[in-house]
Amino acid sequence: MANLLWLQGGACSGNTMSFLNAEEPSACDLVTDFGINVLWHPSLGVELGDNLQKILRDCVSGAITLDIFVFEGTVVNAPDGTGEWNRFAGRPMKQWVRELSDAASFVVAIGDCATWGGIPATAPNPSDSEGLQFLKREYGGFLGQGFKAKSGLPVINVPGCPAHPDWITQIVVAVATGRAGDIGLDEFQRPKTFFQSFTQTGCTRNMHFAYKVSATEFGQRKGCLYYDLGCRGPMTHSPCNRILWNRQSSKTRAGMPCLGCTEPEFPFFDLAPGTVFKTQTVMGFPKDMPEGVDKKGYIAMTAAAKNAAPAWAEQDIFVV
Amino acid sequence: MHTDEENKLRVHIGEVLANGLETQLEPFPETHKEFAELLADLRELPKDDLNAKLVLSGFADKPYGPDQMRCLECMYYLVHRKWCDLPELAVPVEPDWYCRLWRI
Repeated sequence: MANLLWLQGGACSGNTMSFLNAEEPSACDLVTDFGINVLWHPSLGVELGDNLQKILRDCVSGAITLDIFVFEGTVVNAPDGTGEWNRFAGRPMKQWVRELSDAASFVVAIGDCATWGGIPATAPNPSDSEGLQFLKREYGGFLGQGFKAKSGLPVINVPGCPAHPDWITQIVVAVATGRAGDIGLDEFQRPKTFFQSFTQTGCTRNMHFAYKVSATEFGQRKGCLYYDLGCRGPMTHSPCNRILWNRQSSKTRAGMPCLGCTEPEFPFFDLAPGTVFKTQTVMGFPKDMPEGVDKKGYIAMTAAAKNAAPAWAEQDIFVV
Repeated sequence: MHTDEENKLRVHIGEVLANGLETQLEPFPETHKEFAELLADLRELPKDDLNAKLVLSGFADKPYGPDQMRCLECMYYLVHRKWCDLPELAVPVEPDWYCRLWRI
């Protein structure tokens, strides 16, 4: 039996919605098959007021063993560092986060807001938001660089806007069943099993990427979304085309550019008219090249690909 | 548009350029913002005004610039159809032509 507590800071509840839609395993499977005891969750917890405060206080004091503390949303520091803009159970949420993180064996940040601040922490960051151990790419965040949970692991970051349902439940199960040691973390403390490959890995439009055939409008049944429509699939670490959404599809498979939501800088675009869903360029070259590719190599690759492109690559391929 | 029509139009555009149509080769849209503004201007043109489209987009019948930019390496160019697939242009082209909406 592992006790899990889930709290929500500056958030839209998107990751809760995602969690409740998990299938492999489902939220119910966590309880029935993996012995996870959900102490409280914003959408599932039945306790209110004094009863909820007692649970939280008991977790902090150790009267209840807190095995896994899951946090969704940003840590809100405004105004003036007090955190009063996000009060919960009688005091600023940030105070609960600090004490519960110190008490927990494992701390798991779910979604972009909890990992690196996400949309709320985008400049000018009016709520003075930050992630648990990062603020965008900057290491530290609310808990600080040196923070480690009682297990010895830092915050386990499962980013995404939202995180895929099964990323959430599979990480929780791994931790609850004593396999946390098997979870290798990357430089941003993301589980490598999910975040070492790229969104582009497994994309059905990879042939068009290879032959440099671009989609130029949404809904086209051919073409790669990277060249013109701002897709960040080649630079974004996620398994969105390996672990499909709703077991059916992904953004890029459906003709929607990847927004890069598992990376610390998300959202990338300056939101000026004409810049969202448009590949950002400097003198005709993409501002962000596919990871590991330089300008010279990119030109050479383009010339070779164009010369080698077969005729079918220019025609609709995803027909109904 | 049928291939014959595209071929005829391509020849016609080639003749117009060879006859000295002065187009706006500069300034090159430095970033996506200038690029988006140029696209917006193109959308404002009358649909059947081919010459205005060629002028505004800075067409040339040969490679241009220090990097000798040309349609062949542009991402909007469809090699087999010899076609510019940028919706705001959508014209038949030759691989050695150029316009300032070039992107790679």
